[in-house]
Parts: sequence; structure tokens; C-alpha cells
Amino acid sequence: MKLNIEGLLVYFPYDYIYPEQYSYMLELKRTLDAKGHGVLEMPSGTGKTISLLSLIVAYQRVSSAFPLDVTKLIYCSRTVPEIEKVVEELRKLMEFYAKETGERNNFLALALSSRKNLCIHPEVSSLRFGKEVDGKCHSLTASYIRAQRHVNPNQPVCRFYEEFDAVGRQVPLPAGIYNLDDLKDFGRRKGWCPYYLARYAILHANIVVYSYHYLLDPKIADLVSKELAKKSVVVFDEAHNIDNVCIDSMSVNITRRTLDRCQNNVDTLQNTIQKIKETDAAKLREEYRRLVEGLKEANVARETDIYLSNPVLPDEILKEAVPGTIRTAEHFVGFLRRFLEYLKSRLRVHHVVQESAPQFLKDIFDKVCIDRKPLRFCAERLQSLLRTLEIADIADFSAVTLISNFATLVSTYSQGFTIIIEPFEDRTPTIANPVLHFSCMDPSIAIKPVFQRFQSVIITSGTLSPLDIYPRILDFRPVTMASFTMTLNTFNVCLCLVALSSKFETREDFAVIRNYGNLLLEMSAVVPDGIVAFFTSYVYMENIVASWYEQGILENIQRNKLIFIETQDAAETSMALEKYQEACENGRGAILLSVARGKVSEGIDFVHHFGRAVIMFGVPYVYTQSRILKARLEYLRDQFQIRENDFLTFDAMRHAAQCVGRAIRGKTDYGLMIFADKRYARADKRGKLPRWIQEHINDGSLNLTVDETVQLSKHFLRQMAQPFRQEDQLGLSLLTLEQLESEEMLQKITQIAHQT
Amino acid sequence: MDEEPERAKRWEGGYERTWEVLKEDESGSLKATVEEILYQSKRKRVIESHGQVRLGMMRHLFVVIDCSRSMEDQDLKPNRLTSTLKLMEAFIDGYFDQNPISQVGIITTKNKRAEKLTDLAGNPKKHIAMLKKAVDTVCVGEPSLYNSLKLAIQTLKHMPGHTSREILIILSSLTTCDPANIYEMTKTLKSLNVRVSIIGLSAEVRVCTVLTRETGGSYHVILDESHFKELLMLHVKPPPTSSSSECSLIRMGFPQHTIGSLADQDAKPAFSMSHLDSSSGPSLGGYFCPQCHSNYTELPVECKVCGLTLVSAPHLARSFHHLFPLDAFIESPVEEHQRNGFCQACQGELKDKSIFTCPSCRSVFCVECDLFIHDSLHCCPSCIHSQTAS
Repeated sequence: MKLNIEGLLVYFPYDYIYPEQYSYMLELKRTLDAKGHGVLEMPSGTGKTISLLSLIVAYQRVSSAFPLDVTKLIYCSRTVPEIEKVVEELRKLMEFYAKETGERNNFLALALSSRKNLCIHPEVSSLRFGKEVDGKCHSLTASYIRAQRHVNPNQPVCRFYEEFDAVGRQVPLPAGIYNLDDLKDFGRRKGWCPYYLARYAILHANIVVYSYHYLLDPKIADLVSKELAKKSVVVFDEAHNIDNVCIDSMSVNITRRTLDRCQNNVDTLQNTIQKIKETDAAKLREEYRRLVEGLKEANVARETDIYLSNPVLPDEILKEAVPGTIRTAEHFVGFLRRFLEYLKSRLRVHHVVQESAPQFLKDIFDKVCIDRKPLRFCAERLQSLLRTLEIADIADFSAVTLISNFATLVSTYSQGFTIIIEPFEDRTPTIANPVLHFSCMDPSIAIKPVFQRFQSVIITSGTLSPLDIYPRILDFRPVTMASFTMTLNTFNVCLCLVALSSKFETREDFAVIRNYGNLLLEMSAVVPDGIVAFFTSYVYMENIVASWYEQGILENIQRNKLIFIETQDAAETSMALEKYQEACENGRGAILLSVARGKVSEGIDFVHHFGRAVIMFGVPYVYTQSRILKARLEYLRDQFQIRENDFLTFDAMRHAAQCVGRAIRGKTDYGLMIFADKRYARADKRGKLPRWIQEHINDGSLNLTVDETVQLSKHFLRQMAQPFRQEDQLGLSLLTLEQLESEEMLQKITQIAHQT
Repeated sequence: MDEEPERAKRWEGGYERTWEVLKEDESGSLKATVEEILYQSKRKRVIESHGQVRLGMMRHLFVVIDCSRSMEDQDLKPNRLTSTLKLMEAFIDGYFDQNPISQVGIITTKNKRAEKLTDLAGNPKKHIAMLKKAVDTVCVGEPSLYNSLKLAIQTLKHMPGHTSREILIILSSLTTCDPANIYEMTKTLKSLNVRVSIIGLSAEVRVCTVLTRETGGSYHVILDESHFKELLMLHVKPPPTSSSSECSLIRMGFPQHTIGSLADQDAKPAFSMSHLDSSSGPSLGGYFCPQCHSNYTELPVECKVCGLTLVSAPHLARSFHHLFPLDAFIESPVEEHQRNGFCQACQGELKDKSIFTCPSCRSVFCVECDLFIHDSLHCCPSCIHSQTAS
């Protein structure tokens, strides 16, 4: 259908529309009009993706007449399947456009993923790990390898890359929608490397779909996303974890193993330098000259605003030349050695050390006389050296790259980071395993260039409540913040809060564990097909399952359903998941025991019969004793005035909401959500759940006993099993165009968006 | 006003907000809404006219009754099993009343096994007797859908193509324990044109949804006992057949009942063929097959000797109404009715807010008579009246 959203003609590829989708588009349009950033929360399964795509594509089409508006959409998602899903939706939309307007539009949209997912080289693509693929690819395509080929024709190169390099850049990718497989097909047909083709094509594509890391991780962003146009709309989908992604991308962990490998790297560097000096001293001299002139090119580029700025490469150092102490290659290697020795000595501690970046710098100056300034140039200098030395396999040098990044970061940011050296892990205090955590506490550092550069950044997910906390921790000013609810004609969600407790003090209590066991046992007899149960941590789950086994509860449960357990091993977990789904499909019924914050709780959907009930045992607080977390909480309190408790609860509740949200993936889906902990009933916890969950909490479903829960769910499941037709939905939660345009409905729609 | 069927006890249901349904009328009285609710519950019956659809008149139905552990649940009184068996008795009665030339068989499943309680047969008495006996069965283990279906199609697949092959499963458990992949079984069922319907006693199970969708059956889950009964009775009516089933002329015998006496010279004492196993001795009279002259005491039956279907004319006539269902009466508010306010059938005053008009003879009826006419009589009394008069 064709919609009119405040004067914008939007093509929507379905005959019906949910009222909240309309409302969502309305808010989105306002955000784009204002050229600002937005935070939008809408429950999963209500067609967030298609609403986003239809509106932004419509916006792009209109604005192609005025060249100053939106030219590009950058859609960031989390996983490869999600990326593919987005592209498929987009394809549907484009087909609808073609049908309605009758013209072939020259729209280019493509997905981008790592080399591992895109490589078509027969040998390289057969490698199993992403790192291996990257390394192998690099050894076949690096510029000097190809240069050597002119001398020595036996040097192996990647023929796909050669072909692409020869002709691929002149001919732009034909307009169309390209999924990862489409890219590969296209690459095979033409004999071009799909990965480099995609990387080149995103510069002029209208829509790019890729993973968060391509924008947020400074190392990758520098390679891939540097040149993306300023007038883009950036969308972060499933963004409830975005602060953690930002922090992870800026944090560095150094163990003894890293240092050992680094030592090897440095030795290799030394040898290579020695060799080059004998054969080709001119090259090193050329590099020296370049360094004296400073990073002028980069500086010019940044001033003309061509590139996305890189937080690892701070502005100030661009204006200066590389300091003399590390300008020659030997000196720099010596410098690295000293730095390495210093780190080694720091790791030889017997107690936990926590210090700030300035403290660290002072200490390093006192001990090994390393100044702040050369440290700041460390990352850039190493890149230059690696280029000069023509090192083929960059993957091998990851350790030394890590150390140099650390050096640059620690000397650049005096705030927002903390250094924690732990001599052993908390769980195993007897085994010495020293780790240096250089941990970022301020997610805004990594995301800042994105907010600064792009015209509109939209952060959206099913669970973003409370909305105001995201702008605060990411340090930006949104123009719209809105939360949408699901309009339903029946209650598809039955929410029970069971009065049990897993407070830290009582969670080892025998009675509590038995009560939890009883709850699961009773539910397993009442709920059909699949049940997913979430625990707060792996350790806690192991304890509970062990004592259930002793008490014979497991045996009783197994009479009703099969039990599968998520473990920390990825292969084992995916096996368990597969079998779980099979058991649900065959009518045997199954229970999946998993962990909040684990793999299952984040990426995997339990549609329809795969998750008829979700039970959340306890409140999934983070491990509060961790020093990194403590430092971060302190930082949040000092810098953003967010109280520790508020943040912890917020974090726990967003994970709880994520977990229970796994079961409801659409309007025809139904499921039970059971929060098995007394503490959820408190106002501070309840208030932080997303609005679409809160709406279903009424006083009748608070503080229930196990029996009441069973009674309630029996009734609910029978109600839900009654036949349900689309006509019933129509006009209430599903609208045709005429219904949408009625005055009364428009009125209602304005109430859906809950502005904060 | 007759008594409402007893629904589940109040404390067993969910938390209902009965007060939210109630609304005061202008005078502040609740009476109107209460009557409305009662009226709605009475009207709540499925109005679906088949129109010109072929119906399977000769049905072969296997009823699978779950006897697993979950049947001991007491949410139906006194427990699920007893309640189910009692309703089944009523169902068997109703089934043979409406489908006199059809057959039924009963299978029970428990402890991962399936057993035949009764074979396919057209005699309600035998089934009911077995059902009565089955009340005492111990409910153990899990049911097995696969095994019960397999057992049922062993018999059903030999049934002639013009008859319908149906399986009705009453499933209380939420799990099934199968020796092989049930989806293979679904394919077999589909290829054999067997229609599987399921009534669930606890909740919607995925495998049932798929099974019924694939085989063209229906899947319902009960809310309470009266809903259970309603759902069972839906299966009394013959389902529309798929167009793929063959049609053929069927030979049928219409034996006359002869009452022999010892004085009669021609009388030959004969054993009833359907009671050969039982101890009853030879009798003189009975129904004699017109083809092979074997003796039967009861109709309808399939002749054991020559395989001829033996029925009596009234049996066929009783099945007739399924082919020409009575049109639904037109509902209209009572105010629109101009003439005197009396029901054509019961001669009572039309008190309810709607009346029902027969589309052919324009007579008016009250709700209760409308229900009675459609459920039991299957013809409009005033139409019949005018036909005989003319």
C-alpha cells in the first residue's frame, strides 16, 4: 500500500499495516527532518525492519531531487543471519517499488561481511577460522606480493583479486539488491573478488547492511567505513547492547601469552630490518623522510572532512611529526622492547593493582624513561613500519599491534580508561595468570565519531527501557525518543511474577532450590512443546542442576520433557539447540536450560512452539565483584551522575527483558513469561522493563505461588489455543489503508508513541 | 428458563473480571446485560451451511483415547478419563443416530503402546459396553501418537475408497513417545486419505497442529467440560469429503425382518452371523441377507458371508438430511416484527430481542425452537405443514 506520512509518499510492501508501524515511521520521519539522532523502542515481531527500510528508502527517493538530503543508509546489525534477513526485506520492498512504479530504479544495496563469509578463492575459503582466512587472503593480495610477481611469476596471487583490480573499479556494480550469496555469485561469474568488490561498492551504494564493528571498532572502521558519505543515516538495530560493544572495541587485555608472542614479533621485526638494511637501505631512508614530514596527508584529509575520524588516531598528533626517538626503524624496535620489558615487569605482581592512565604514564617514565609523546605515535609508527617492511601476514603481528594500540590509547586519553592488573583469576586464586586489563569505561569515546560525522543516527531495539539512559551513557542529544507498544486484540502474553527469591544470600538455600525445581516441574507438565529457562550465571546453573539431580527433580521433569543445557562451548550449545528444536517439533517437548547474557539469550529466537514459556530464575545482575565493573560504575557516577544501583538494575532488567522477549516474536505468537523472583515486583525493577512488557503486568499476576502460576497458565494456554483468525485482528491491530486513514485511528496512533 | 450446563467451578477458572462485562442500562439496572450474556451463550453454536459439498456418508472412524498419566488430572470432574469416557458414550450414541450406515472403532494408548479396545463395527451397544468397562483402566506412562495411528490405518487402509477414513484423537498429554518419525506417518496418512482430527485436553501442541493441517482435519483445545462436549459433537456431523475420493454405486441389501414360529414349516433355525462367538443359540427369525440368506439379528451390518451392506430404509433416510441441510434462519430484532409476537412452533411469546425467520415460508421462531429445529428436527415444521396441506 502507499502511505502518506506527513507529506512523504511511502511505499509499503504489505497490504496491511500495524498501527505501531505507522507511528514508528512518523517518529522516524521527524527525526530525519530534524537531521538529528533518535532512540526508538519497538517490540520485536512488529515489523521494525520493514518500517525503517520503507521510510528511509522513500526519503532517499525524494531527496535525490534535492542533493543535500539523505543519500545513504547504513544499517548495522549484529549477526550474519540478521543481516541477511534485512536484505531479504529490502528485496521485497524493491520488488514492490518496481511493480508499483513500473520502472527499474537504479538502487544499489548490498550486505558486507568478513572475508570468511565472502571469499570465493577455493583454497582460502576452505579455511575454518576468520583470522586464518584474513591472513591467507592478505598474503595473496598485499601490494608488494603483487609487485614481486612482476619479477617472479611463480609467486602465487589471488586471481579473483587480480581480476577485480584490473577492471572491477572502472565498472560500477549494477544496480540491485545483493545479499552475501548474490555477491559471491556475481563474483564467480565475473571472476572478481566479492569481498573487495563489496568494500569498494559500499562507497557509492544507496544502502549498506553490515555489522556494528565496521563502524564502531576503530581498527576496522578505519579500513572500511572511513570514506562513507556524511549525509548518511546510520541505524543501529538491536542496539540494546551498544554500550558494551563500544567498550569492548576500545578495551585491551594483555596476558603473558600476548607478551610472549609480542616478543617474537619484535624479534622478527628486528631481523627483517637487519635484512632490509643490507639489501635495500633506501627504503628505510624513504620512510624516515616521510615520518619527518609528519602525517600531513592524514591531516589534510581530516580537515577537508573526507574521512570518519578514528579515536585511536587523535587529532593533535596529526599536526606533528613523529618524534625523533622512534623515527628510525631500529630505534623504534628498541623502544618497543623497552616498553615490552616494562609491561612484563608490571605483570609480575602478587596483588591487584588499579591505576589511572596518568599514573601509569608517570610510572613508565620513572622506570624506563619512556615519554608520553612517542607512546602516542606508537600505533601509527608501527603501521608505517609494517608497510615499509612489507610483512605479508599481518595476522601474525596481532600481538604487537595490540600493544601499540594500547600504548597510543593510554597516552591519549587521560580520562575514561582505567588500568587493572590482576595476578590471578578470582575463581582460581592459586593459579598465577596475570592479566592487564586496559578497560574503557566510557562508551561514548568509540561512538563519538559516528555521532559527529553522520547526519542522523537511529538507535533502535525491542528493549531500550529506560530510554533516557542511552543518550546519557553514549553522550549525545537525541531529537526523538519514543517507545511503542504492541497493539493486540488478545493478551498474547501471560506474565507471572512468582514469589521466590534468589538473592545472593539465600540462593544456596536448599528450600529455594527446591522451590525453583518444583516450579519447573509443574510448568513442564502444563506447558506444551518448548520451555526455555534462564539462570543468572553458568556457575549458578551448574549448582542448581546438580542439586536437582540429587533431589530427583530432574528425573521427574524428564518424564514430561527432555532437558538440554547450554554450555560455554559453542559447538556443544548449537548441538543442544538443534536437538531441542527437534524435540519440540516432534511433540516430545523439551526444556532448554540456559544463561542470561549467554549465546541463547541474545541471538536466538524461539518462535511459536519453540518457546511457549520462558522462565527467568533470579535477576540477571552482572558479576558485581569484578573490578572492571566497579571501576566503570564509579566512572558513571562521577561523570554522568548515574547511581551504581540504577545502572546495575538497568543492566539486569534489559537482559531479563531480552531473555523473556525471545518467546514472543510476532502477533500470532503467544507465550508465558515467568519472572521467578520476588524482587521483580518492586517498583524500581518493574519500572525499568520495556513498556510493552509492563503493560501486561497487572496486580493479579504479581507475587503468585507455584500453584497459582500453574492454574493461571493452564487457563491461559487453553484460551490461546482457540482458533484465531486474521479477520479478528483486522481493524484493531492490523489496518488496511482505508482504516488507517480514518480520523479516529490517527488519533489513536498518536497515543501509541510514548514520548519521554 | 432451563438450567445452564454446569461449567467449571469458579475457583478453577482464571481470575475473571466479571464486573467489567456488566454495564448498567439507563435505569441503572443490570438485568439487560445479564440477559444478553445468557442469550449469547445460547446462540453460541456454529452456523455453517455446507452448501453444495459432497459429504462422506459412509464413515469409518477410529477414536483414539489417550489413557496416559495425564488423564488422571482432575481439572475435569472427577478426572479427565472418567469424564472423557462418559462424553464418549454420548458421542457414540449421537454418532450412530446421525450416521446409521457408518462404523466406529476405539483405540486406547498408554505406556507408549496402543491397543484396540473395539474393532470397527456398526453396533453402538458393544462400544458403549466396552467404554463402561474401560473406566477402571489405570492411566500410566506416555501416549504414543505414532503407534495409535499405525494401528488405526492397519484397518482403515482396507476400507473401500468411497467411504471416509477418519481418526479422532482425544489427547490429554502434552508429549508423545514415538518409535519413528511422526512426519513420515503424516505422509502415509495423507496418501491414504485419512483425515485426522484432534481434541486436546490441555494445550496446543505443535505436532498435532501439523498433523491435522496436513491431513485436513480439525484441531481444537477444550476450555472446560461443556466446551469439550460441544467439540465432540462437532464430529458427529459427517465431514466434507475430498474430491479425490472415488464415487461408486454401492450394492446394498434391504433385508426384511421375518418372525419365524415353530409352527411354520418353512422356518429354518439359524445362528446369527454377528453373534457366532457368543453363546446365544440359533433363532428362527431375524434379518436374512437377500443374497446369501445368512441370519442377522441387528441392522445395519456388513454381511460376513457375502460382504453386502445390509441396512434398513429408515437408516438411509436418517442420513439424508446431511445432504440437504436446513438453511439457517434469518435473525432480526424483535421490533421489526410487525405481526403478533408468538413463536410458530412453541406458540410462546417472543420475549427475546431477536427472532428467527425461515427463509422459505417466512414463519417466525424463538431462539430455543430455532436451535431445536436445526439440531434435532432438520426440517422446518411449518414448511412441512404447508407441503402436506397442499
